[in-house]
Amino acid sequence: MSAAALTRIPGLPAAVGFGTLVVAALVAEALIRAGVINQFIVPLPSQIVASFERVITEEHLFDRFLTTFKECFAAAVLITIVGVSVGALLHRVDLLRRATETWVAAAASAPTVLMYPLFMVIFGRSMTTIVMMAFVAGLPPVILKTIEGLSGTRRVLINVGRSFKLTESQMFRKILFPAAMPTIFVGLKLGLIFALINVVGVEFLINFGGLGQLINDLAERYDLAGTYAAICFVILVSVVFFVIIERIERWLRPAD
Amino acid sequence: MPVATMPITPTAPAPANDRQGLLVIDDLSKRFPTPDGTVTAVDHVSLSVRQGEFFSVIGPSGCGKSTLFNVIGGLLGDYDGNVTVAGERISGPHPSVGMVFQEESTFPWRTVIENVSFPLEIEGMAKAKRHEKARHFIHMVGLDGFENRYPSELSGGMRQRVSLARTLASEPKILLMDEPFAALDEQTRLLLGDKVLQIQEELKQTTMLITHNITEAVQLSDRIMVMTYRPGKVKRVVDIDLPRPRSSEIVGSDAFGHYVAQIWNDLREEASRGLTEDEGRRVARVHR
Amino acid sequence: MAETGRLRQAAITSPLLSPVTLVRLAIIVGLLALWEAVAASGWLYRDVVPSLLAIGRAIAALLSNPEYYWHLGVTAGEVATALAIGGLSGVLVGLVLGGSPFLSKAYEPYLYYLGPTPKIIFFPIMIMWFGVGPSSKIALGTMSCFFPIALSVAAGMRQIDPVLIRVGRSFRLSAWQMAWKIYLPAMRHPIINGVRLGLGVAIIGTLLAETKLSNRGIGYLIIQAYSLFDMPRMYALLIVLFVLAIGANALVGRFGGLDSIKRF
Repeated sequence: MSAAALTRIPGLPAAVGFGTLVVAALVAEALIRAGVINQFIVPLPSQIVASFERVITEEHLFDRFLTTFKECFAAAVLITIVGVSVGALLHRVDLLRRATETWVAAAASAPTVLMYPLFMVIFGRSMTTIVMMAFVAGLPPVILKTIEGLSGTRRVLINVGRSFKLTESQMFRKILFPAAMPTIFVGLKLGLIFALINVVGVEFLINFGGLGQLINDLAERYDLAGTYAAICFVILVSVVFFVIIERIERWLRPAD
Repeated sequence: MPVATMPITPTAPAPANDRQGLLVIDDLSKRFPTPDGTVTAVDHVSLSVRQGEFFSVIGPSGCGKSTLFNVIGGLLGDYDGNVTVAGERISGPHPSVGMVFQEESTFPWRTVIENVSFPLEIEGMAKAKRHEKARHFIHMVGLDGFENRYPSELSGGMRQRVSLARTLASEPKILLMDEPFAALDEQTRLLLGDKVLQIQEELKQTTMLITHNITEAVQLSDRIMVMTYRPGKVKRVVDIDLPRPRSSEIVGSDAFGHYVAQIWNDLREEASRGLTEDEGRRVARVHR
Repeated sequence: MAETGRLRQAAITSPLLSPVTLVRLAIIVGLLALWEAVAASGWLYRDVVPSLLAIGRAIAALLSNPEYYWHLGVTAGEVATALAIGGLSGVLVGLVLGGSPFLSKAYEPYLYYLGPTPKIIFFPIMIMWFGVGPSSKIALGTMSCFFPIALSVAAGMRQIDPVLIRVGRSFRLSAWQMAWKIYLPAMRHPIINGVRLGLGVAIIGTLLAETKLSNRGIGYLIIQAYSLFDMPRMYALLIVLFVLAIGANALVGRFGGLDSIKRF
């Protein structure tokens, strides 16, 4: 059977992918039990699975998840309000946009998260540091995409607005902004993802907060299986978060 | 209905001071600077559209008809000559002029009824009242039942009807349409043409249609102005003496055929002139 | 034609004095003045906002200190190695996944959904596996840049104009020739973009790992400045780092023929 035909069998590729993971885990289990891999470096997969329950109950996983969620939410709100406003402002004042757009793009690619020691000095080892770092990281894409969306409005829609003699404010509220929504949402999606990555990452680095701090804690206690389990949870949260955002995006842009 | 052989009398362009015209264009010229020098899109065009008349402008591609559309609609300024609607000079989009664009122009984020009531919303009309009024125009274009659908759920022809209804809702003195059916297939065009005829009958709407489709122009118009290739001048104005009310059945009649043939001759002349000039320019550019 | 919401472009007198440059200068000068005012007022405690002079001196001290360059070398070496390993494996995996719809459907979702996970949380595992030396930092950098590069290359493969592939097949090119002469050249842009993104996250991943557990490298210097509360030094380190990182990004972009550092 050709590769193309194999691809079309529903569920087969997904099963192969998942199956590979299971096989890898089983092989790892076998190798560790056989002593080929040091079990103090890589814990038994079965042990990792066993520690899930312990991590959930004893380490108050859900509370920690809520903490992380609150931090992400605060960052998201800030990013949305500031990002879209600044983007709209830069679109409106063309001179300002031409002066600062490359700076914003540069900030997007700069290693801003490395400023966390600085933020720790200013805000202490606290939630504020975490939220501020996520804010700084997630802001540039929102600004850039807002500008892109507003200036990319189809010419004919602008002409419709002009033919109805809309004021500038009406033009913005009733045509430019709604037309830009899909692109702005792409920016928000990117910003949110960067924010989440930074929240968990900084939690880990400064040993404060929710899920990230849990991983750091477990690692410092040499609870290997627990560390792996906690990492699995974070991956799970990140994946679920990402999937939800994508679903929302698809719901907002059915035309695509 | 007896349709005797109609002598096709080309009338001279309407006199510039025909005060009875709702839309009066007096010696309009519009030029554009380009890398190849100044291009004259519209060259000393004069015409007058009477109240309640259906007036078409037809010409080969590149003859400046879209420029004419944009000037009358107030989207292009900086022209020589005079363009007045109901006595007022056009210098920017005028509330008496309603525009229907060639491209897809419905607001994808609004439902049909929200699209159509848009001009009323701008005027500040209350929601219940403007939706009621919008329903009237939605019915007029034959989209009853689709009020709460989004444009993405409609066909291309239906979306153009939404755009038309939206413009009609602003009750303009003159309706300006730039090849609104260009993207549609022939059958849909004919049926939509019927719709437009019905609407124009009912509202006695003064209409100016820009098109390159002869059948459409003859089917719908009282008078047709044929433009030359660039620089666009008035080649001929033809009185279409077909009886009203018209329907798409008239397309098969003899008189119809005569009008189409004559205009086709005119256009063929201009179009081929355009082709040779274009080719010559392209060759010249390559050899520069 | 006037466009709503845009100021008319002012007449440009000369490239040096263009309005854009003037606005930029105004913003920079304004921010520097504001900074100095806050520094002088003593409003924030102690040294959190050092004077511009102090920062300037710290930068000078840094750049004239050979030890700094040694640390820079360590970090640069780690990043380069990470990018090499992560980049190469990313390109290979991307080529394989992009070329096979079956493998793509089977494995690419894992890459796609693992991409937006903070890689730094894997650092304890990397230390377990590779020890506390540079290898664990390189490993983290590699993890960071593998994903975006693999995904970019896979997506780039699928965007290649099918006609080019047919041309290659019609000349009966081997798989290696196809990759080298058709796929890779056709994918210049996605690859360059992927590498740019990869460079950015490799720098971040490597440096964060250095701040967490290391005794050498720029990340180490930053966290050392933090623990010694040597603020001017910290600012100096960060400023120089940012200049280098943004510069590297722009260089890769220019090398790849792209004219801006926008990456979205």
